[in-house]
Amino acid sequence: MQVHVYNNNAKMDQNQHVQPAQEAYGENQYQSNPVTTPTVLPTQTSDSSLSSSYPRQHPNDPQLEAMYELRQERLQQQLNNFWAKQCQEIQEATDLRTHSLPLARIKKIMKSDEDVKLVSAEAPVVFAKACEMFIMELTLRAWANVEEDQRKIIKKHDIASSISRADVFDFLIDTVPRPLENILDQQGFVGLPTSTVPTPLNDACYHNPPPQALVPGNPYGSPRIAVGMPILDQNHPGLQIHHFLTPMEPTPTPTPNPQNPSPSSDC
Amino acid sequence: MADSDNDSGGAHNGGKGSEMSPREQDRFLPIANVSRIMKKALPANAKISKDAKETVQECVSEFISFITGEASDKCQREKRKTINGDDLLWAMTTLGFEDYVEPLKGYLQRFREMEGEKTVAARDKDAPPLTNATNSAYESANYAAAAAVPGGIMMHQGHVYGSAGFHQVAGGAIKGGPAYPGPGSNAGRPR
Repeated sequence: MQVHVYNNNAKMDQNQHVQPAQEAYGENQYQSNPVTTPTVLPTQTSDSSLSSSYPRQHPNDPQLEAMYELRQERLQQQLNNFWAKQCQEIQEATDLRTHSLPLARIKKIMKSDEDVKLVSAEAPVVFAKACEMFIMELTLRAWANVEEDQRKIIKKHDIASSISRADVFDFLIDTVPRPLENILDQQGFVGLPTSTVPTPLNDACYHNPPPQALVPGNPYGSPRIAVGMPILDQNHPGLQIHHFLTPMEPTPTPTPNPQNPSPSSDC
Repeated sequence: MADSDNDSGGAHNGGKGSEMSPREQDRFLPIANVSRIMKKALPANAKISKDAKETVQECVSEFISFITGEASDKCQREKRKTINGDDLLWAMTTLGFEDYVEPLKGYLQRFREMEGEKTVAARDKDAPPLTNATNSAYESANYAAAAAVPGGIMMHQGHVYGSAGFHQVAGGAIKGGPAYPGPGSNAGRPR
């Protein structure tokens, strides 16, 4: 079962901590292959002329390295503040019957795995809080990406980029479209030391996106971003949501709902 | 109530349920809830594109399945049938989400304390008003189970089994939203 494959992958990293967007820079072996493909080098060259935002392409440049380190420190500080705030909020919470996510739906997702038989009443409650923290962590990491580009709108590729920068999110590699991620790699969103070993070069061939994926339309305003941002259908067999086109514009927030979290209970 | 509408249909498309089958909706958490939580993590001037929200919806379902799968494996190794909160916390530690465990331990402890109080309160009150028939039947079953169990005992095997059966029945239809107490109502739910 696919879930178990994720488990096996994750167990290899089970001793790593969540903090490490920075650690992932040097240790994420899954991302090293694309960087060594021949096609990456020209892209890196052109990127360096367009922007100095990706110091990881020049690991020997002290100034760019310092900029990168500073951003990593800032993100880590934001995450540390986030976790401290979570503990504080839970201690101060007065109504634990108010859940920000519907427990029945969580339970249904849990039981979509045929191996899962019985679920105690407290399990969806734990997940309601865990998922809230997961969503907020992903969002914080994505926002750091948005700020780098001096934008105000979080887009799909910001989520994809933040996922690819932390080992702990490796289980999501198949959820976020792979071709987009590879293109992000080629643009230097995932910084990794350049490797001259031939074997990774050979392996990298299997990760190249199909040629047509590299000739996208220009759906985004920023020319720099548009180079690597094709609109691609996801090929994941279990996730068909993106085959439905929605008439709404992607840019504005479609649900400006100021509503407070409502009580939701199960069992 | 807006949340109920979102839960009952069309959660992914702001009410346009016709674009997606009911069963597919059930694989994700409602996009309105996800969006609200994302905004809590952002400054006021930030905006979120629709495709970013949908991507996070998918990531959350994957997160639930990922943790649940690990917890389920542990239960099978230990010849237990029911996944409980501690199994989930163990799985998160194993899979690299250590930062989540400390806040969740506090959360789970407080939830259990509250459940203990609620079990006592349930004996003195009728079930609170419910919003639809299926939930009414569901709560009746739970109430009966609670009546049959001595006060203070949580996670009775039969109770959980009945719960699972109910969800299997509900899965085939457009699901009504969870029962939301009316304004001002804060009655504990009988167990």
